[in-house]
Amino acid sequence: MKKTIQRGLFTGALVLMTAMTAKPANAAVNYQALVDADVKKFQGFFRKEFPDVKLEDFGNGVYALDEDARKQWKEMEEFPPYELDVEAGKALFNKPFANGKSLASCFPNGGAVRGMYPYFDEKRKEVVTLEMAINECRVANGEKPYAWKKGDIARVSAYIASISRGQKVDVKVKSKAAYDAYMKGKEMFYAKRGQLNMSCSGCHMEYAGRHLRAEIMSPALGHTTHFPVFRSKWGEIGTLHRRYAGCNENIGAKPFPAQSKEYRDLEFFQTVMSNGLKYNGPASRK
Amino acid sequence: MKKVLSLLSMLVLTPSASLLLAEPAPAAPAASSSPLIEQAEAARKEADALGYEWRDTAKILDSAREALQRGDQAESDKLASKALFQARAGKAQGLYMAKNWKMMIPKN
Repeated sequence: MKKTIQRGLFTGALVLMTAMTAKPANAAVNYQALVDADVKKFQGFFRKEFPDVKLEDFGNGVYALDEDARKQWKEMEEFPPYELDVEAGKALFNKPFANGKSLASCFPNGGAVRGMYPYFDEKRKEVVTLEMAINECRVANGEKPYAWKKGDIARVSAYIASISRGQKVDVKVKSKAAYDAYMKGKEMFYAKRGQLNMSCSGCHMEYAGRHLRAEIMSPALGHTTHFPVFRSKWGEIGTLHRRYAGCNENIGAKPFPAQSKEYRDLEFFQTVMSNGLKYNGPASRK
Repeated sequence: MKKVLSLLSMLVLTPSASLLLAEPAPAAPAASSSPLIEQAEAARKEADALGYEWRDTAKILDSAREALQRGDQAESDKLASKALFQARAGKAQGLYMAKNWKMMIPKN
């Protein structure tokens, strides 16, 4: 009898312990917490690599790391090469469509909306970028969309960025679908690809601040805060996705189309990693 | 005798002349693909489906097709082999990365 009671007590205690330690099947996953932990590690990597660089300064790319390059860039920024593009972008933003509306009709806050993009649209189950929203506004109003990589799309984006300077990067990942897109972007960032078997992180994390031939590699932290950029190499202003395609070409990988799901997810991931920094586009780069 | 000789020469030359004047038989159309090109194209599509096609694979395949069309089978095969290698390497890279990309995250 004593043994039966002991066995019963032991089994009861075991069941109780199991119930206390096991997670309920429908426990809500805190995706934002998972992402925040990634942000902490990611930014920690750069803080450790470049202890003298302030977090905010990473938005200036390679110019946060190299003093000589910074001096040249500062001089160039006195007469910013993107200035005319910003002016043109302003005109395009306010130019009436055939139906009398304009891009200004689609965006709140006078168009100072850089800080709202990219975001994960829970209804559409996809990442929406600023350039995508610009073209969707045009199409919804019976206008033709702009070409994705350069020209008017970059000009309008530059104008919106310019009037949004100082807005904080604060991208949220609230659902499983958003987390899936984030993880796809993360995979795109870390996976090696192309004939040179290289990844975004290989150049812009592990090699950040070091020379690749004559160029110093920029840090991935802050990559998305300053686009669109006027690149001396391009001789004109271009979008982030144009740059992504160029990077893929450089490593011998077939680039994805601008605004493809792959590049939007990558932009989403990269922008999340820059949470806490401020938008400072448009900018000039070599 | 002279007449006989000229008659004979006419008999001999007439068919030759008609051969020379006749329109040439239509040449067989140049092939635009080969088994090797087909194999490389199939592999390229597999790499592309994974998102891991390399930059130059499709261009090399186009060059292989062009070489075949101008009748340079050896050059076409050489290029198609190169494209096949790239396509297979891209696919292998994609399959490997799908499983192992997290290992590429730098450690702090």
